[in-house]
Amino acid sequence: MNQADVTKLMSQLRIAVRPNKRNLKNADGPEGRLLKLRKTVTALVKHERIELFYNRADEARGYAELLISNAIRHGDRHKATMELADYWLLEKQLVHKLFRVLVPRYENYSVSYTRMYKAPRDYPGIYYRQSVLELRGNPYPSLLTDHSQNRSLLHNVLLDEARKEFRRQKLPELVI
Amino acid sequence: MMRSVIHQLLGLRLSGGCGVTLTQVRDKGHLSRPRLRNPQWFLRKEVTRYDDHLTTENKQFVNELGGVNFGVPAIKKDVQENLIKTKDAATNEVTWTPGLRRCGLIARKIGQYPLWLKNGERIRTTLLQIADNHVIKYIPPEEYLPAQPPKVHNLKKRGCILVGSESTNPALLTKEYTGIFRDSGVGPKKNLARFIVSPEAELVPGTPLNVNHFGVGDFVDVRGKTVDHGFQGVVKRHGFKGMPASHGVTKTHRRAGNIGGGGEKGRVWPGTKMPGHMGNRWRIIKGLRVWRINTKYNVMWVQGSSVPGPTGGLVYIYDTILPLRKNKEAPPFPTFFGELQQTSDDVWYEKVHDFKNGSITYENE
Amino acid sequence: MNLSTRVMLNRLAPQCAYKRIVTFSTKTAEHAVENQEESKKGVAPAPTPSSPAPVTRKPIIPANYRFVYPEFLPDPKVEWRNPIREKLERLDMLERRKQIDLPEFYVGSVLAVTSSDPHAAGKTSRFVGICINRDRCGLRARFVLRNVIDHQGMEVVYELYDPTIQKVEVLRLEKRLDDSLFYLRDALPEYSTFDENMEAEPLEEGASVPVNDIKVVLRPRPWLERWERQNLRGVANIDEYLKDKHRLSAAKVQKPWEKYDMMKDYRSSIPEEEQTEIFAEVHTDLHTLELQRKRNKRKRTFVKPKQLA
Repeated sequence: MNQADVTKLMSQLRIAVRPNKRNLKNADGPEGRLLKLRKTVTALVKHERIELFYNRADEARGYAELLISNAIRHGDRHKATMELADYWLLEKQLVHKLFRVLVPRYENYSVSYTRMYKAPRDYPGIYYRQSVLELRGNPYPSLLTDHSQNRSLLHNVLLDEARKEFRRQKLPELVI
Repeated sequence: MMRSVIHQLLGLRLSGGCGVTLTQVRDKGHLSRPRLRNPQWFLRKEVTRYDDHLTTENKQFVNELGGVNFGVPAIKKDVQENLIKTKDAATNEVTWTPGLRRCGLIARKIGQYPLWLKNGERIRTTLLQIADNHVIKYIPPEEYLPAQPPKVHNLKKRGCILVGSESTNPALLTKEYTGIFRDSGVGPKKNLARFIVSPEAELVPGTPLNVNHFGVGDFVDVRGKTVDHGFQGVVKRHGFKGMPASHGVTKTHRRAGNIGGGGEKGRVWPGTKMPGHMGNRWRIIKGLRVWRINTKYNVMWVQGSSVPGPTGGLVYIYDTILPLRKNKEAPPFPTFFGELQQTSDDVWYEKVHDFKNGSITYENE
Repeated sequence: MNLSTRVMLNRLAPQCAYKRIVTFSTKTAEHAVENQEESKKGVAPAPTPSSPAPVTRKPIIPANYRFVYPEFLPDPKVEWRNPIREKLERLDMLERRKQIDLPEFYVGSVLAVTSSDPHAAGKTSRFVGICINRDRCGLRARFVLRNVIDHQGMEVVYELYDPTIQKVEVLRLEKRLDDSLFYLRDALPEYSTFDENMEAEPLEEGASVPVNDIKVVLRPRPWLERWERQNLRGVANIDEYLKDKHRLSAAKVQKPWEKYDMMKDYRSSIPEEEQTEIFAEVHTDLHTLELQRKRNKRKRTFVKPKQLA
């Protein structure tokens, strides 16, 4: 059993992190893998919603989350964070977006900064798992259907009545 | 299978004119991974979960209803908060004799760490947590006719105790599975196990079982499923040496080499060690001593670090069957009832160094 | 939080980073940076002495706890983690720490360890040496001491929580430039020679742990490891022994991109929230032990004046 690395201190991520990394297929090895992910993170920060293969999205998601959380934690005067942002965002105007737009947006968030959905696969076509990765609070319409009016669904109506009945039966016990 | 073949043939005939036919490949049939095939009578445990679009109040109500009928789950985020106290088990006064078989426990392997003996020796121990165990059912010997009888001596004279562990939300389980728990007075459990017992060791459904079922210094057998390593070569699977990395060796660095002779024995003999699937098999490791017990968290420290399975895996604990390590004095029979009269949560075996004591020193002869 | 406060806090951070004394402080203002949680949310009051700090008896977990007690943090490998096992392990560690004074020390500090030994003459043995490595966590935590005795290099691996250890003394509390000093094995013997009867060098109370920037001189090849590949800071003459082929192969195995691999760091460390949770659990006990140690130290250092005439 080994010791945890104490030289690094990071905030806890609000997403489920896989125990091991995925070696995304790349001829250039680990460096090429990071370049691939840098492209994805840059695109995510730029477009705020992207559609891509699931594995690559899942890997890039952690980096995007950590980039934002570090930016919130240390601010734009912190040299190491600035270096990180410079490395991960391939288009330099996005560094400004990170510190001027995303940090104020996410400063008081208590949930994750990104969101991931499973997207349908092509059939016939490339049979890899697809996904949609997006930043929370983006300007696009939501991908999920709105269920705020679901009170009128049959099982909800029945459950409502059952609940009222249950409360009515419980009431005498509570009074005593 | 047959139906799909016919379907394909039909498709071929129908689309005979146009040259393109599509064959659906939906699973990885080419991987010969050993799969669990449950028997036909096996109950499906978990329901498929759909988003029911319930309103928040209704969702809350459904959860509350589960809590009313079955009690809150005792394990929340891996921390055991309290054991559910169910109806008092009737204590039928049977004295223990050496031939009797007691019930076992379901546990989770939660990790390993070293302890030290009083003579300064360091021992490796594995921690097993007895998570919220309850007796679900007792089947007397005359009714117990298992479809696949376990290899137990004198099975006809033995009954069977069904034990469940780890309460869970009944909304996640199928109706058939929750039916098992209907007469037990306990909420549905995640895990079930059967233990073959003597009729004298009968336990009433609902009896809570905890770590005091075993005492420190006792020996136990632990059964579990080993870590699944997948398809492995001979070097990892059987510990072969492989061949040198250099000195003219080509393409045979981790291969087995020769697998048989010629002539009359010119074939591969059964049982030859070859590559194949490694792990994911049931194994029993016998005669482990219980070094220490924690009654607050229901944890026992057993000898060694070779308990089968990964950390977090399920294991079953039995009284040992090794003749020289069997119980000589009476264990709690049929199980431990009542409250413990002790000040500390920890019970240490006499040979183990308690961290509350000072450093170990050696005396001059 | 406005920008100026954050800048000020960032500037304050290095000053407080190595504060060694642990206190139940009512003055939150002085320790505002140590309490990361507070500083992040921005509820820390402005660090001016004029404004009275709110009186809260909440224990402040010092920021350097993770360096002082690294073994209290569990192995970050997810498959091996279990909250109950970690809790039980921490309780055992605390029980052991209540029995024996296990002082703060780092790689590079000079220690003297007295341990029970059934084969030694007086049934105890004492070994003085420099700590060249610390590893493993929980009850398995261990450290390696190195010394040269009679022109022979000696290394002893001690387990920190082994009950046969009777006493751990820190003779010289300091850090070195590197995280592990295995290169002392290939250095000239004078760099790992320490007197057995060395006196403890007391450090001023409240002073930060000094970093000894000594650069050791290596012996010529052959070495035990390829030190040129490890980017060591505490070695003076490594270039003397390198040929071009060594430099080339060393450059080939460098991984300059790894410092940007945030997920790698995340997977090999324990996040701050979890660390706070863990140290909050053990803080009270550790703090009491530290106070006790400080009291004992003062008692030891006080010398009764001789009676004159």
